[in-house]
Amino acid sequence: MTQAPVLKIDTLTKKFGSRTIIDGISMDVTPGEIVCLVGPSGTGKSTLLRCVNGLEDIQGGRIVFEDEPVRAHSKKIIDVRKRVGMIFQQFNLYPHLTARQNIVLAQVVVHGVDRRSATERADELLARVRLAHRADAYPARLSGGEQQRVAIARALATNPHMLMFDEPTSALDPETVGEVLAVMREIAEERRTMLVVTHEMRFAAEVGTRMVFMDQGKIVEEGVPRELLAQPRTERAQRFLQSIRH
Amino acid sequence: MHETYGLLEYMPSVFRALGLTIWLSWLSLIIGAVGGLVLALMRTSGWRVLSVPALLYVEIFRSIPILIILFFFFYGAPLVLGINVSAFAAATAALSAHASALMTEVIRAGIESVGRGQWEAAQSSGMTYGQVMRHVVGPQSMQVILPPSVNIYIMILKESSIASIIGYVELTATGLLIREAHGGGFAILGIIAILYFIVCYAISLAGGALERRMKIAGSGLHMDGTR
Repeated sequence: MTQAPVLKIDTLTKKFGSRTIIDGISMDVTPGEIVCLVGPSGTGKSTLLRCVNGLEDIQGGRIVFEDEPVRAHSKKIIDVRKRVGMIFQQFNLYPHLTARQNIVLAQVVVHGVDRRSATERADELLARVRLAHRADAYPARLSGGEQQRVAIARALATNPHMLMFDEPTSALDPETVGEVLAVMREIAEERRTMLVVTHEMRFAAEVGTRMVFMDQGKIVEEGVPRELLAQPRTERAQRFLQSIRH
Repeated sequence: MHETYGLLEYMPSVFRALGLTIWLSWLSLIIGAVGGLVLALMRTSGWRVLSVPALLYVEIFRSIPILIILFFFFYGAPLVLGINVSAFAAATAALSAHASALMTEVIRAGIESVGRGQWEAAQSSGMTYGQVMRHVVGPQSMQVILPPSVNIYIMILKESSIASIIGYVELTATGLLIREAHGGGFAILGIIAILYFIVCYAISLAGGALERRMKIAGSGLHMDGTR
């Protein structure tokens, strides 16, 4: 049951000035896969996500999302972004809109859904992330965990073919991390394709179908999360996993 | 006392002139705001072919005295372009040119006050540049743009008095004419000054009220989410 990959990354190179952030990475993501990108900070995991939806231009290699080559400043990038949902570390909810309006906006503006159906969809998603009672609240009135759940609902609203999470719990207070991970678990159970940059190793082990360990812009090791976590083959992965266990 | 009493019969023309002053400055502000928006988008576009001309425009029109700009439009344009320019058109053009230069910087600051994360979230959802501006960046930048815009409007309204120099009979010119007809005296100038003050103060109050309302709409906190 090998399916055609949704996302193909081929010898991707990303540089900021003369600094190489991503150094010839190749990887595919097939439908229903939940790929967890782990590794020390500053190794290009977040940058990789940002290259996939064209927030960053690339200096070498090729990214193809569902037969659409990803190029940062081309008009076609919109077609890719419409099909990829992105969740940010800092949530990035629109502060001038309520939780509900945040979820409605792209549906109406980008996908041409009529406002009434978009609102229904927003309320349904708010209920799913257990925030129905906060629909009319502005982001500044929500806790970090609540904001991130709204952000997840916002990303889901347009039925993306792939979801990308950029360290979704790193900016959260410890007590709200659990509620966000719980929502992510539920989404994962629907076998949605997900690409997750995270430091939550337990989540990665329990939910991820594949773990990719990155260091200094390269993929050092990859495999089934539980196996990789239990018995990392490379020294660098061993060292990293040691360091975060303490 | 007698002098002031005699002025009453001129009051209808004074209020008509006040109307013209408000109309002239309002029109200039609208044109200035539209021009400023276009120039601000050019300034923030990141393309030098657009940002450099916009920058030049701003620097030129905010560095030249409004009176010179006015003379340029009133006396210069007919010479250079061979067209007749009415006093009203020249005054509107000069005030609009000045207002747009000031509005450019205000709108640019507003656009730049919206964080990169907002752009990225909106773009990631598939929005075009125009959609991001209209639905995400524009509304958030209003809180930064509004207060200085009120000041610019008040300034333009007062500046519109220079139209009297090229013979456009707005409030100041009317006051001066009445003063002459009435044989000197300062009472009429006092009345004119009070009218300017009342209008400008009203604008200032309205602007403040609008500002407060926007803050409340944004949940009572600052729109960038900080407390």
